[in-house]
Amino acid sequence: MALCKDEEMNELLASIQRDGIDHFGLVERLIAAYPDDARLHFLRGSLLIGAGRAIEAHAALSRAVGLEPEFALARFQLGFFELTSGEPARALATWEPLDRLPADHYLALFVTGLRHLIRDAFDDAIAALTRGIAANTENPPLNHDIQLIVDECHRIAKGTGQASLVAETEETSATSFLLDQFASGTKH
Amino acid sequence: MKARRGGSSHGLKLLLVPPRVEASLWRRLRYEREVRCRELLFTRYRGLARATALRILRSRPRNGVTLEDIEQFAYEGLLVAIDRYDPLRGVPFGAYARRRILGNVVDGAARMNELDAQHHYRSRVERERLRSIADDQGQDALATLANLAADLAIGLLLEGTGLIEPDDGADRRPNAYESLAWRSLQHRLAQEVSRLPEREEAIIRQHYEHGVSFTYIAQMLEISKGRVSQLHAAALAKLRARVGHG
Repeated sequence: MALCKDEEMNELLASIQRDGIDHFGLVERLIAAYPDDARLHFLRGSLLIGAGRAIEAHAALSRAVGLEPEFALARFQLGFFELTSGEPARALATWEPLDRLPADHYLALFVTGLRHLIRDAFDDAIAALTRGIAANTENPPLNHDIQLIVDECHRIAKGTGQASLVAETEETSATSFLLDQFASGTKH
Repeated sequence: MKARRGGSSHGLKLLLVPPRVEASLWRRLRYEREVRCRELLFTRYRGLARATALRILRSRPRNGVTLEDIEQFAYEGLLVAIDRYDPLRGVPFGAYARRRILGNVVDGAARMNELDAQHHYRSRVERERLRSIADDQGQDALATLANLAADLAIGLLLEGTGLIEPDDGADRRPNAYESLAWRSLQHRLAQEVSRLPEREEAIIRQHYEHGVSFTYIAQMLEISKGRVSQLHAAALAKLRARVGHG
């Protein structure tokens, strides 16, 4: 399976951070050259999320996870996308393999927290998500998103919560935390 | 486990992104053949169809056409729009559907003027209901009559139950002068509806809450009109048994 070379990936990531460039054109050209590279599909999925093209985003993230089932970040993002799309059962199924991560891995802790959250177990959710934030040194933008969820949980626990959080915040950081992830050169 | 309408937890609601939720319905309907999503989309946009029907009715001479008739054309237009819409083209469904609903209502109203009263929604729906529940009864004439009467009464109760808030904001719940027993019965009936099997619940809700005829419910659920009729009868029989012996 041919994977995108490091220099090509770095060039792509650098260009995505610049304005006025056809990001989709760039990533799609690389996907044509390396159709089995899960990272490229994940990147495309993240760009599609940012562009509000939800159906194609789901397909791209699913393709990334299908190509590389151990790609934990892609799996987490796919499940999170499904959760925010109102498909909790599917999200839980997507996340199930993440149970094989060490229990103190930040993605495992985020999943645990989100599982508590959708059961309205706000205190448990806050505890797990907060531990996840402390454990996550790879993706600061993801910590920012999760912190917003934690803050909202606190507000709900106090009875002053509101009902739409991710709509305002999640889109902006999807790509940036992805970029940080690649910059750190890890998939776990 | 049956997914309940409006049954999302507070925690999940916190995370939902409305455009994604809608995109998920389209994805599952188009690419994963999840038929139930057609009904969910229909329910989501039913208000648009009704509002369009009302606007047309107000802007034209009635010629004996009722709002209920016009609504059926609007629902038909909405279903056609759901089936033809391409969610990947980036056009919002509401804008796409509005034109189709409008066209369908205008065409339907023109056709309607040429038909006699027997085609009107109200008489048609009553015939459909009666046929549905009459076909389901056994041989004993007296028992059949009793069951028919009970099923028709349940139908009337369901119509007035206000299982959900009506679009026009009117409060159709029984007022203070109506009996406690009646209110209690309607409340129990509403609870029992939510305990029905998914397809039967969908039929009862779409028909009695939303006034959708069997024809369009059949289209929505991708089953025959005869099957809708059978499931309608089965649902009423369950409601009769549960409410009657509660």
